[in-house]
Amino acid sequence: MPLPSTHACEDCLLLVYTDIRTGPRILFGAVLSSFLIVDCVIAYMLEEMEMEDKNPNNLQDLSSLRISSLEEEEVEVEEDDYEDDEEEEEEDDDEDEVSVALGFVEKPKNPRLLLRHLFPSKAGGVPAWLDPVNLPSEKSRVCGFCGEPLQFLLQVYAPISEKESTFHRMLFVFMCTSMACLLQDQHEQWKRRPETQCRSVKVFRCQLPRSNPFYSSEPPRHDGTDKPSGDGAALCCWCGTWKGEKVCGSCKKARYCSEKHQVMHWRSAHKVECRQICATFQTSDSSHNQRTLPLMVSSKTLWPEYEIVSEDECSFDTEASEASDDKSSLVSKAEVDEMFKSLLDKFEGNDDQRSWASFQGRIAKAPEQVLRYCRDVKAKPLWPMSSGRPSNADIPKCSYCGGPLCFEFQVLPQLLYYFGVKNDIDSLDWATIVAYTCMASCEASVSYKEEFVWVQLSSSSPI
Amino acid sequence: MAERGGERGGDRGGFGRGFGRGGRGDRGRGRGGGRRGGGRREEEEKWVPVTKLGRLVKEGKIRSLEQIYLHSLPVKEHQIIETLLGPQLKDEVMKIMPVQKQTRAGQRTRFKAFVVVGDGNGHVGLGVKCSKEVATAIRGAIILAKLSVIPVRRGYWGNKIGKPHTVPCKVTGKCGSVTVRMVPAPRGSGIVAARVPKKVLQFAGIEDVFTSSRGSTKTLGNFVKATFDCLLKTYGFLTPDLWRETRFTKSPFQEYTDLLAKPTKAIILDDVEKLDA
Repeated sequence: MPLPSTHACEDCLLLVYTDIRTGPRILFGAVLSSFLIVDCVIAYMLEEMEMEDKNPNNLQDLSSLRISSLEEEEVEVEEDDYEDDEEEEEEDDDEDEVSVALGFVEKPKNPRLLLRHLFPSKAGGVPAWLDPVNLPSEKSRVCGFCGEPLQFLLQVYAPISEKESTFHRMLFVFMCTSMACLLQDQHEQWKRRPETQCRSVKVFRCQLPRSNPFYSSEPPRHDGTDKPSGDGAALCCWCGTWKGEKVCGSCKKARYCSEKHQVMHWRSAHKVECRQICATFQTSDSSHNQRTLPLMVSSKTLWPEYEIVSEDECSFDTEASEASDDKSSLVSKAEVDEMFKSLLDKFEGNDDQRSWASFQGRIAKAPEQVLRYCRDVKAKPLWPMSSGRPSNADIPKCSYCGGPLCFEFQVLPQLLYYFGVKNDIDSLDWATIVAYTCMASCEASVSYKEEFVWVQLSSSSPI
Repeated sequence: MAERGGERGGDRGGFGRGFGRGGRGDRGRGRGGGRRGGGRREEEEKWVPVTKLGRLVKEGKIRSLEQIYLHSLPVKEHQIIETLLGPQLKDEVMKIMPVQKQTRAGQRTRFKAFVVVGDGNGHVGLGVKCSKEVATAIRGAIILAKLSVIPVRRGYWGNKIGKPHTVPCKVTGKCGSVTVRMVPAPRGSGIVAARVPKKVLQFAGIEDVFTSSRGSTKTLGNFVKATFDCLLKTYGFLTPDLWRETRFTKSPFQEYTDLLAKPTKAIILDDVEKLDA
């Protein structure tokens, strides 16, 4: 913008901004007395007109003499778009206030760094259970539609330092790998009765105080000597995720969480191994068995394991404000095309496109992010679509303490790219998965408490 | 905030601050620092696709924009267009217009940018974006323009010698009261059109055309939309060379479930392109 040339007059503090194309235009002024201003304006205008050739429009402006009025041809006062503008302003304000932590996936330097006694945040592979003994029950670990046990998506270590009981706090996300179940799940999440909900995506929260029977109260030393205070429960040897309560009938060594996994394991490898195990272990002690059998995760369909590293979103902000240096040549026409305004309706798009555009703009600061974490009362999730958003009434109360839920974190679809999920017509795809957790992070009788999940799928409407 | 973070860190010792407690300095990855040094080019290379189509394009399974057009798949990421059209895609800012909104404290000025993108070889797009800063508006408009890229069919006026240079037939597009009619022209005529649609047609890759417009062409929004509509219709017009029955092919999502290549797909695409030439 051209620099304002000031009209410094003692009587009025008037700044006249001169644009080469359009002539003098008054932008700011501190009015001491309206008469003085008017006189000054007239004087200035006449001055200018003597110096340069001006069209008669200026004289007309003088006659109307509103200081804030401008030549209509060049600059417009938007009246139709008030609502849109205000919406945009509000969005900007909201987003600036809360600081969001972003999660990025990285290959761990050493897979042993992701074991449970080091309290990792990870994605894919098997979960590092916080409470290794009281794992989720049989009913809560299966998909509500197909009955398959859920697969581990990611876990986030999110302690709350204000309370004693939440010194250690982990959030686990599980989901069914079938897209058909996810589509049915969409209907379920709109129903407002969380007790009777059967879902295919679940979030569990587990918390422990500093002194607990599973880990030492001292922080881990990260030098290879750390280990948990005790063994956990035996896990299923097919998925390595859930508790292996059922045992193989013949060898009595292989443990499974469900019949489906037993069938899968039997078909793939166990048919052959079973007899061999029976033969070798016939004479050994029963107490030895749990430790000598390593945790074999036989399933090949688990997602690849990554570690999640967190960074603050504001550390990426400096890049976004760089000025564009490649667009300095503007093709500006001398005459004014007033009705370009109508292009707004045609090309700027509808609600869905606009929310997608602002979503893209936000994640463009750090395109590799897979997780957005913000546990703040004012925090709002970043919605890719405008359709399919929950209202406040759609989010139920905590099923354990009856208190309200608040947004904690959301998973973004970049994770699908890192997991290498296939891109068939029926493969898994989502726009975002949002987790709402109990604001008070309540204690309950179960160790792993279920929280509310909202999944937004990408609509297939064209841009 | 930093103080409180430090105190809490002290309480927890080396337990790890978890999420929402600041970055992990101890691991020393320095993601923020590294990316600031790299500048803009790194960001573009590090495109992580968000949609299924984006993932297919990034893998390289989709090689041309025509495959996307064939199945009417919605394109939601502009990097898809950039990857498929490559360096031939040029953009130009047609106009920056300041618009103002009256507030109690004076005027609030924003800038509206109009950008047209095209590769000069059958693809054009137009984008409009309004923003507080000129640079932001231009960037946003370029992205919107890339998302709205459409294919343009070209043909011959007379002898089918050389490359197609004009519209294949008389087409007309209408928006509001403005109708734009494009008529095939012989080689060397150039684009006979008003200033604004001429620019759009240049980006589309049409070399010669006669145009005729009617209605209130002063309303440039409608005028440009009408030329766009006209260009859209070039592929909607059934000419005798398209009389052959289409053999339906699988969409890119279905195609890559089987590991077999589908030879029929290649044949159909070649037909369409050869017929133009």
